[in-house]
Amino acid sequence: MADTTIDVRQAQFDDTEDIDRTEVRSYWQLARQRFVHHRLAVAGAITLVALIVLSLVVPAIAGDTLRVSASRSFAPPEIFNDEGDMTLAILGYSRTGYNIFGVLMAATGTSLMIGFAAVLIIVIIGVSVGSVAGFAGGWVDNVLMRVVDIALALPGLFIIIAFVAFWGASIWSIIIAIGITGWTLAARLVRAEFLSLREADYVQAARALGASPRRIIMRHMLPPAFAPIIVAASLGVADSVVLEAALSFLGFGISADQASLGTLLNVAFEYLNREPYLVLFPSIVLVLIVLAANFLGDGMRDALDPRQRVEER
Amino acid sequence: MLTYIIRRIILAIPILFGVALISFLLVYLAPGDPLGRFLTPNVRPEVLERLREIYGLDKPLFEQFVGWISHYVQVWDPLAWGISITHRRPVLELIMERAPATLLLMGTALAVTVVVAVPLGMLAAIKQYSVADKVVTTFATIGYAMPSFVLGTYLLYIGAVWTGIFPFRGMTSSLRTAGDPLDIAWHMVLPVASLAIQSIAGWSRYVRATMLEVLHQDYIRTAKAKGLGSNRVNFRHALRNALIPVVTLLGLSLPSLIAGAAITEAIFSWPGLGSLGLQAVGERDYPVVMAFVLLGGIAVVLGNLIADILYGVVDPRIKY
Amino acid sequence: MTASARSGGPLLEIKGLKTHFFTQDGTVKAVDGVTFEIGHGQTLGVVGESGCGKSITSLSVMRLIERPGKIVAGEILLNGDDLLTASDEEVREIRGDQVSMIFQEPMTSLNPVFTCGEQISEAVQQHTSASSREGMDRAIEMLGVVGIPDAKRRAHEYPHQLSGGMRQRVMIAMALSTDPDLLIADEPTTALDVTIQAQILEVMRDLRQKNRMAIMLITHDLGVVAEMADEVVVMYSGKVVERGDVRTIFGNPHHPYTKGLLSSIPRLDERVERLEVIKGTVPSPYNLPTGCLFKRRCPYRMPICDVAPPYQVVGEEHASRCWLTPAGEAPDVGADASGEEAERAGELLTVEPR
Repeated sequence: MADTTIDVRQAQFDDTEDIDRTEVRSYWQLARQRFVHHRLAVAGAITLVALIVLSLVVPAIAGDTLRVSASRSFAPPEIFNDEGDMTLAILGYSRTGYNIFGVLMAATGTSLMIGFAAVLIIVIIGVSVGSVAGFAGGWVDNVLMRVVDIALALPGLFIIIAFVAFWGASIWSIIIAIGITGWTLAARLVRAEFLSLREADYVQAARALGASPRRIIMRHMLPPAFAPIIVAASLGVADSVVLEAALSFLGFGISADQASLGTLLNVAFEYLNREPYLVLFPSIVLVLIVLAANFLGDGMRDALDPRQRVEER
Repeated sequence: MLTYIIRRIILAIPILFGVALISFLLVYLAPGDPLGRFLTPNVRPEVLERLREIYGLDKPLFEQFVGWISHYVQVWDPLAWGISITHRRPVLELIMERAPATLLLMGTALAVTVVVAVPLGMLAAIKQYSVADKVVTTFATIGYAMPSFVLGTYLLYIGAVWTGIFPFRGMTSSLRTAGDPLDIAWHMVLPVASLAIQSIAGWSRYVRATMLEVLHQDYIRTAKAKGLGSNRVNFRHALRNALIPVVTLLGLSLPSLIAGAAITEAIFSWPGLGSLGLQAVGERDYPVVMAFVLLGGIAVVLGNLIADILYGVVDPRIKY
Repeated sequence: MTASARSGGPLLEIKGLKTHFFTQDGTVKAVDGVTFEIGHGQTLGVVGESGCGKSITSLSVMRLIERPGKIVAGEILLNGDDLLTASDEEVREIRGDQVSMIFQEPMTSLNPVFTCGEQISEAVQQHTSASSREGMDRAIEMLGVVGIPDAKRRAHEYPHQLSGGMRQRVMIAMALSTDPDLLIADEPTTALDVTIQAQILEVMRDLRQKNRMAIMLITHDLGVVAEMADEVVVMYSGKVVERGDVRTIFGNPHHPYTKGLLSSIPRLDERVERLEVIKGTVPSPYNLPTGCLFKRRCPYRMPICDVAPPYQVVGEEHASRCWLTPAGEAPDVGADASGEEAERAGELLTVEPR
């Protein structure tokens, strides 16, 4: 071994420059930062919020221009009508004389409401089943997973249509039907998360350090479990809205006087050769909702997943 | 392998049982009298009672269920799956009659999908970040976001209403031309396009994703380090691995082969199983409805089994 | 025998290689001006901690760097021909034929859907006119050479049927099947048990002697270096900090980093209260110090270390990137020198090409 001229052990060591000056941020701050980076996700979030706001505000303003009136048949686009009332009929009026934009927004509102409500059911059932299965393991998990298998084997759309047809097509029956057939994905995601978390090193470490079960669940298990739930929820919104639209399009959904995007498309389909433009607006809104929800879900997933990828500039 | 298949089939029985139970409950718990539609002033109540007996509707739930299941299992009996109330014919017969149309539609759509989506996804993955990749990904995202009935309606409008190139509805133009393959093909273009565009969007995303994952594996680096050309690396080394999960997707597409076309069949008035099912629901034709739910369940179970078998065939690491 | 071997020139010459990675968070200079050479039949050990750039250097030689990385400067001369200006096709011909590479993770480096024999045969067929039958024969032969029993049967087995040690042998067999002039071995034994490690090294020693093959052995394990290498290059944060004969490096290291590495190895014949460590950590590539990259952790640090130190000759065939004199004392220009004065002194001392 070399004979050094200066005794290594007594040499000076200066480490003040090496202090890592990057800010310490919490998990949630980092997540939010990553999310904001994701332009499409932000666009998706803005779009959804905008649609929600419009669907609430516009029908209230448009008032009875939402109803058909022969006098307004094919009237041109306007923001205020002749009497000075705000109508926001920026897409004009249809052949039968209703405010296209107004009805569109009202329909969007109904569709979104059904979508969100259905997702609520999906999340409740899914998280319950998934967390119990993942946490308990063993035969409980086995039985619950067989239940999931059965739910997955059922032809979803068909069952929904049958359910709604037999029990009556009210908004609530639609919400329930979509909810009880769509919870499987959420359940699987949550179960997977809980199963792996149970054995995670840091959970074991927390236990070894004496953390209480409540603290372990709240601080260590719940945040990572959030991610799949939120992702499943945002994707679930898109699916639910589309399902409702399909339902109404086929004529099994809500009645046409309670407009939803599906009923608008149903009517548009009927009048395809007379007023083809009617298809455009509800379909664009529908696709926007699906895209926005998907991007939002993607963005959430990337933001909440702490494993970073090195991105190219 | 054989023992694996047998084992899987045995494991599938409880699932099918569950599906059957739900199917039965769906109909049993439905409000309204299943025979209500027969109640016209001309029909005497004793006739209704007799019908009730024939359909076994007067027995308790459990008995009805068991009786129903034992009937269903005897698939060699043409009456095993009941008689359609609307069509007054055995359900099995109706299914057999309508199935070819659906299979033709879905089979063609599936073939088109595979032929288009696999190269597309591969291209996007190999040339990641390039213009081609962005185009494919954008198209796939939008196509995936568009519900089938929206796409179908657009295609119907552009293809049939506006340009008049393709027919509005149905599988054949008239009774005279029934069975003429060219005529059928002409009728198939729009619905197949509608189905194919949607699934191409989904498949190409999936192919691209698996291909990308494979391209980042160590053994691809080894292949390059051996001096192999990019074609050999991409097609022989990468694709072979990337296709493994894609092949299983093929098996998993089986359920949609039967059920997935319902909406498209409705839009294009295609006389297949989907439209039969929708009609049955609308008319409370319970025997048909129950049969369809069970059929769907069988298709899913079968599809999963085929997917797993295919997986075992193409991946040498899997041993059954 | 190649022209440069006859003329006595080195087999591989790396001059001023710079490979940078352009990421969202900044540019990582993984390899920043690396120069060294390997002679025919010589074994060069490239030593350093994780992240020092040794693997990237080897991948650069094979031109296997992909986005977001890019080779931005330098020359890599193989028998006098610059690989960095060669066409893609020329490079592909060299890969696996004149220069072969084996990697760290034998578990994932072989394609799971092809048999071992097929993969070796593929390499042979790529670079020779052998048929598939001949390729397979060669594969079986090579499997025997690397010490795999029952080679014929193994050749028709899939990678997942073999253990880690066996897979690494298959990798070696594949790399050597084309009789390369240079074998680049990137941490070939790191993922394996110590006993298997010894076997693998034995195989490599055996083969290099038989085929007069040069080896670039990349590792962080000094024990492996001591056993296998003729010369050693020590890397730190993307630069070469010391180079010399293996005995010199181990017996008389100059650079404080090398000294630190060597003194941190526990010895069986000494009793100590504490194990030696090199204080501090490797600097983040996004936050590199100015001047000497090692200065924050160096026990000999002087003010002049804020200026980039020269790569100077400190002994026979022995160079070190440090301001200290060969005797280990402050430089002639003074430990406090700075700015232009220090830079000029450095330029006079350095033997590294710009």
